[in-house]
Amino acid sequence: MKKKPVLKIRNLTKLYGDVVGIKDLDLDVYPGEIMGFLGPNGAGKTTTIRACLGLLQKTAGDVKIFGLDSHEDSIEIRKRTGYLPGDFGMYSDLKVKTILRYLLSQSGVSDESKMEELSALLELDLGRKYGNLSKGNRQKVGIVQAFMADQDLIILDEPTGGLDPLMQQKFYDFMREEKEKGKTIFMSSHILAEVEEICDRVAIIREGELQVVEDIHSLKEKMGKKLVVEFENSVDPDIFKIEGVNDFEIDGRRATMIVTSNLDEVIKKVSKQNVVNMSLDTFSLDQLFLTYYSRGGKGE
Amino acid sequence: MNIGKTMLMELRNSWRGYVLFILVVVLLVGGFAQAYPSFSEAFEDELDGSENVDVEMLEKDEEINVTLSWRKIDNVDSYSILVSETSNMMVPVDRVDGIKTTSHNYSLQYDEDGEVPERYFAVVAVNGGDEELVGIETNFERKTPFQEIWGVDYGDIQGFLFILWSTWWVLLIGLYIGYISVNVITKDYEEDRMDLILSKPISRRQYFLEKFLVVSLYTLGLLAIVGLVLIGSIYSVGELNSVSSSALMASSVLSWPVFLVMISVSVLAGVYLESSRKAVGVSFIFILIQYGINMVGDMAEGLEYLKTYTIINYWDYESALYGEAVGVLDVAFLLVLSVLLVILAMVVFERKDIPV
Repeated sequence: MKKKPVLKIRNLTKLYGDVVGIKDLDLDVYPGEIMGFLGPNGAGKTTTIRACLGLLQKTAGDVKIFGLDSHEDSIEIRKRTGYLPGDFGMYSDLKVKTILRYLLSQSGVSDESKMEELSALLELDLGRKYGNLSKGNRQKVGIVQAFMADQDLIILDEPTGGLDPLMQQKFYDFMREEKEKGKTIFMSSHILAEVEEICDRVAIIREGELQVVEDIHSLKEKMGKKLVVEFENSVDPDIFKIEGVNDFEIDGRRATMIVTSNLDEVIKKVSKQNVVNMSLDTFSLDQLFLTYYSRGGKGE
Repeated sequence: MNIGKTMLMELRNSWRGYVLFILVVVLLVGGFAQAYPSFSEAFEDELDGSENVDVEMLEKDEEINVTLSWRKIDNVDSYSILVSETSNMMVPVDRVDGIKTTSHNYSLQYDEDGEVPERYFAVVAVNGGDEELVGIETNFERKTPFQEIWGVDYGDIQGFLFILWSTWWVLLIGLYIGYISVNVITKDYEEDRMDLILSKPISRRQYFLEKFLVVSLYTLGLLAIVGLVLIGSIYSVGELNSVSSSALMASSVLSWPVFLVMISVSVLAGVYLESSRKAVGVSFIFILIQYGINMVGDMAEGLEYLKTYTIINYWDYESALYGEAVGVLDVAFLLVLSVLLVILAMVVFERKDIPV
């Protein structure tokens, strides 16, 4: 992708007194992609997003959105950017439709078709009072308002929290359609599976610092899979000295290893033994971090 | 393009509270004005038989000549005069007996400060062993307790309204206005709306000014309603000939700048502290201190200068009630103070992080 980035972050730093929120963050998000922003709770995802939108005053660094300065031209940027906060509330006594109309008109848009369409897709009842909605339905209100003004860039902070799996799937499909239409989506998440499912690229942040920005497939390949095999009898560890097998550990008859390549060869070696149990897992986020750092972290 | 949307949304969300408070104020203000006739009667406590006794004073260099004369009572042996410092005559400081005529010259000494002492004189008719009060009169113009404290009398409607205004209308309205001025912004923080609202293309400045305007215009409307209710209520007790309806309306509506300062202080506290609880505390303390200092300044003579430091003192509600000219400079001072506070609050709001 050699297009000009929609969102360009350089050396972005946010300190809360002495506490580091984020430090020297560099990130580009290109038009028409879904960029996942992955990290454990408290890693600085929300801080990054809110600093980009001018909700936080950045301590240092530079953010350009559509080539515009995030501070100087923030109103122009917000005309073209939809945002779903990680935590939000709305007027409890008002109907969902009243609230959405108000937010839509604040964006300077009067066309309600996308609002209607997305509400129908997510089965959100616009006639109900916001205060009477369940957590999942409130989240739908947030999603609808982020997309309804049909803006070019959509920034989502943990968008699927509270949605049931069926709704999540509908929402993923919807995001893919939006992407097809040329929209750029930048979304934070702490769920690896979600990011894997819909994102083109992923940026991983930990303790305020960006660890890696990768194409999701190459990241997965790089990270490998975790193979756990329980043998009937004890085995010679040396048979697993194969290229692409890392972090081999054996505890009695139970072997654990990370396989980044040559999976076929590993399985063939395993199959020559009597196997009691076996599992092959993609990394959970925690394991991914653990593995990532045990291999030396940034720059690996 | 989007001007007024924030105001409209605030009204849609909070109108119940706003309307409820208007009803409370209408009932209280209207109700109290109804009580005026009975108050004014209650405070016209004439001295017993004062119509029977006349007192005239002639101040000389070394003493004061008090000439007492009274209505003749038939078939009495003599008259006695009791002199006291209080109207209940419980502890007479002097007594003159055996007066045969219906007048008497009484000599009164100046007090330590060289002032004419305030005395009550009771004339008693003595017949054998019986004593009958002819009447009580004083050598000074009597004051009610309210007159003594505020220098105004419940005896006229303006004084009555002024005391109500300064003792608790200003406090009641001030505290409520302070409360909503804080909450108009901090509720958007605390109910997690601020991120969403400010992620739309509206500047923080516009958002802030619209919130400020909502409360300011609401207050102006409230004061106009208070004016109308006063006119109606006072008309219904037949007192509208003693106070003009335009003065009633003007005194109410022109109180606005005082409340504008309270609003400005409260929104400043709100955006600085970003917490309803803390900011309402600051706002209430500010208003109560203003009120308290003004009270102390009214009650204790040497402390009147303190009132210069209160905003309430820059609005002469009483003069406005009498239809007298309003101090333009004072009003201008309040307006300028309010504008400065609002600008400060806006700068604070524009520079702060939006809390989560």
